Amino acid sequence: MIAAAAATLLSHYRRHPGQLVMLLLGLWVASALWSGVQAINASARDSYDRSAALFDAGLDRIERRDGAPLTLDTYLALRQAGVAVSPLIEGELALAGGERVTLLGIEPLTLPAASGIQASGGPDALGDFLQPPWRTRLAADTLAALDTARHGERLLDRNRQPLPPLALDASVPPGTLVTDIGVAGALLGMPDDAISRLLIAPGDPAELPAPLVRLHAEQLADPGQLSDSFHLNLTALGLLALVVGLFIVHAALSLTLEQRLGMLRTLRALGVPGTTLVALLTAELLVLGVVGALLGIVSGVWLAGQLLPDVAASLAALYSEQVGSELALPWHYWLGGLAITLGGLFSAGATTLWRAARLDVLALGQRQRWRGGLQRQLAIMAVVGAGLWLLALGLWLWLSGQPPGERLLAGFALVAIGLLAATLWLPPLLGLLLGWAVRGLRQRPLVQWALADLQLQLPRLQLAMMALLLALATNLGVGSMVGGFRLTFLDWLDQRLVAEAYVRPPTEQFEASVAWLEARDEVIDLLPTRRADATLRAAGVAAQPVGVYGITPAPRLTQHWPLLHTEQGVLEAWQAFTEGAALINEQLAIATGLGPGDRLTLSSAEGPLETAIAAVYPDYGNPRGEVTLTTTALAERFAAPPGSLGIVLAEGSDVAALGQALDRAIDLAGASLIDQQAMKQQAQAIFERTFAITRALTVLTLAVAGLALFTSLLAQGGERRAQLAPLWALGVTRGRLAGVSLVQLSLAALATALLAIPLGIALTWGLVAVINVAAFGWRLPLHVFPSQLLLALGLALAVAWLAALIPLWRLWRSRPRELLMEFSAS
Amino acid sequence: MLELRRVTKSYATPQGPLRVLDGVDLSLAAGESLALMGESGSGKSTLLHLAAGLDLPDAGSIHVDGRPLADMNEAQRAALRRARLGLVFQQFHLVPSLSVADNLTLQARLAGRHDRTWCDTLLVRLGLAEMARRYPEQLSGGQQQRLAIGRALAVRPALLLADEPTGNLDESTADEVLALLLELVHDSGCALLMVTHSPRVAAPLNHCLTLAHGRLQGSTSGAP
Repeated sequence: MIAAAAATLLSHYRRHPGQLVMLLLGLWVASALWSGVQAINASARDSYDRSAALFDAGLDRIERRDGAPLTLDTYLALRQAGVAVSPLIEGELALAGGERVTLLGIEPLTLPAASGIQASGGPDALGDFLQPPWRTRLAADTLAALDTARHGERLLDRNRQPLPPLALDASVPPGTLVTDIGVAGALLGMPDDAISRLLIAPGDPAELPAPLVRLHAEQLADPGQLSDSFHLNLTALGLLALVVGLFIVHAALSLTLEQRLGMLRTLRALGVPGTTLVALLTAELLVLGVVGALLGIVSGVWLAGQLLPDVAASLAALYSEQVGSELALPWHYWLGGLAITLGGLFSAGATTLWRAARLDVLALGQRQRWRGGLQRQLAIMAVVGAGLWLLALGLWLWLSGQPPGERLLAGFALVAIGLLAATLWLPPLLGLLLGWAVRGLRQRPLVQWALADLQLQLPRLQLAMMALLLALATNLGVGSMVGGFRLTFLDWLDQRLVAEAYVRPPTEQFEASVAWLEARDEVIDLLPTRRADATLRAAGVAAQPVGVYGITPAPRLTQHWPLLHTEQGVLEAWQAFTEGAALINEQLAIATGLGPGDRLTLSSAEGPLETAIAAVYPDYGNPRGEVTLTTTALAERFAAPPGSLGIVLAEGSDVAALGQALDRAIDLAGASLIDQQAMKQQAQAIFERTFAITRALTVLTLAVAGLALFTSLLAQGGERRAQLAPLWALGVTRGRLAGVSLVQLSLAALATALLAIPLGIALTWGLVAVINVAAFGWRLPLHVFPSQLLLALGLALAVAWLAALIPLWRLWRSRPRELLMEFSAS
Repeated sequence: MLELRRVTKSYATPQGPLRVLDGVDLSLAAGESLALMGESGSGKSTLLHLAAGLDLPDAGSIHVDGRPLADMNEAQRAALRRARLGLVFQQFHLVPSLSVADNLTLQARLAGRHDRTWCDTLLVRLGLAEMARRYPEQLSGGQQQRLAIGRALAVRPALLLADEPTGNLDESTADEVLALLLELVHDSGCALLMVTHSPRVAAPLNHCLTLAHGRLQGSTSGAP
């Protein structure tokens, strides 16, 4: 009995293969985009875990206060004084194939016990690592990317000199080689006694000599939260694509059930129990789900492989996070992909199964009342949508009272609830508009019929329209956010990069460089900077580590440097700054609630420094809270080493010639002069690459929505002919019917796009004012671009037309005989 | 009003061409009514479709309102259907999302021949005036068929083609609908070609023909 019933149920797909294709297509695209994003996230997490396990396991750093390089003597002196420090060398090494990798030289015997590298391998491995010919440890994915530099069991550097033999170590971060400190120093061409930094266990209470400073692990900029928000952003887009794909699935399932109602009644009448039918439908869903998920996961992994290099480059540029360019997928990734697709499928199919379980055999023969059913459904959607709006309002009010940085997930939830509420309101709004239009257009019978017919199609098209609304709003919202960010970022770059050229001379050459530059005729002014770390204290604010930045308030800088909030005006703020007041960046202001006029205290080498806050400035891309003082104050109070040097030049000066002359005059140790334009271009390139994946995902989501519309139109193609045939019989030509159908769909798409515009703007606001503040600590101005609004309208029409192309072509090409058959059979 | 001369029509089937009409001749003048009977698959509906210009014959000629259908393109045939023909179907084919009043006037408005007074009269005579603002699904089967008849007559057609108009109705409702149809046809002066299975339905019409083996067999005069 079960086999016969199953064969009967499945025979539906033989008659309607399009519906089977639509179901699998929905599952496939939903699962593919979700799996792709998750594959990227899983690979990135694997890379982060490897980096964290190796060095960032909470080790403190020791550096010189004056910024001068550490030497072997310092290390030996500290060891002799009983301080358990370990030396480390870090540099970039060019290989024979042109690849560049990070080379780390370590001394494993002195590394603090928690360090991952010491634990890797057994005693033999440690012996091999420390003795000639030593070892080069690297991960398999790094090795795979360095194939052209490989010669047998060794890598060759750019001079084709062999590195120590290779030893695979899965714990080494991607793009990184680890070897003995002596070997690394030689490979990097560093002086014999040079050390990049010294590491010490955080709990070690050792006192350091005055010239040295200890940077606590928690003081070091931790990009973890930032990269988390990047991945959360990707996950949100992946989830959106999954939801849009599941709309297709839901539409297909509803259609297949509706068309099989008669069959179900017959099977029940022939003695098949209702529970058996529900079990068979569940099994059908399960099989479809597994097939769809497998197709999706395979495609998702391929997609992730295509996108990962861009994502890795973005993460490296933005957060200095090294992510391997090869996918590393744990077992739970595969199971998770299957589970989320099946979960999504069953949530989409729950209503179908519920309806099948509640079938009244006797009532099945009665045709469902279209109007009553639709009105009830629209009313439920409107009420649930209103409930969600209220929930979103409550969440927003709650969020307003929460501290920034604590509300990233809640921010995403707010955006998601808002999108869902608007999506649920779309069909009732369309129904309302169509109802009014049908009543008001009696003088235009064909238009009136077209709108009435569109109302009739609403139950079938509503899910596709909802998917289109989501995709359009996301496209518009993300597009406006990125566009606004670009404008703001470029403007900010213009304001911050006020000098024509920049150079970062080595500390020991800094004064000589300044003197040389001051002697040049074309140099109008020099804008030196310095950086230090300090602990901030203020009334009502918990003590916290901050960066301290020193700038030179020369007229060229103060005329351009952007200030967000001041107490008495920009000029007064700069005057106060020159006299010793501080500026704070926006992320610190938002995190602490401090503002112009408040006082703060900074720990410094010369004792506490108390000063007033003169203004708040924007500081895009900086993960840390920062206080800005004059360069002089940093040099005097914090013993901060010199940093970069901005060079203001006379108009028409030749930056390249100046750079070459500076290189000839002073040994800059590779720190050449950089043109301001080159810096801007570099920053812009990083920016564009960062949003490449965001753009790709929003475009893919829009494509999925188009697919939803296309499959919905295709699936109801046969029924549409049955509805159009009587009108054709009444004297409307096929060409006009096809035209009317196109106008119908265009109107629906335009109405959807018009609703997507305010929703997209609201989404932009959510992204710049809620998500961005929660993730990065600073807020972006809200920009709305008319060109993007027009683009949204154009995209909606383009998607609708593309989706309608084949169904309308089929209608236009259908032979009168086919219409006659529909006409006679219906 | 309607004239078929030696009309032939075949359909391709897996077993070869199936000739459903084989040299059919038929004439119907204005004001006349003709019942077309025959077994299922005898070609009755095919003949009706040919008369409506929904399909074209393989051979022979069809003139509607004096105009040869073979000389018209699809758009011209569609225009003829809109303005000069009324069609009544067994399944009603009403638009569920249009009100009763809008459904009734649909074809007339499509043809640009909407006569409000006539449509109001039709609504009253069809017993649908009280239900003008309702929707088709809120009507009984008989009321829906009356509405379909009203839609066909609202355009004041020269020829009314009805395919089993009472086939979906119970006997008493069928009688009631048929009486109304004939009364309205008589008043409007149009010709009526009705396909039916039922001799009882065919009886009140002027003429009755039976279609068998692709030919019209015998002609009987019905009611005057």
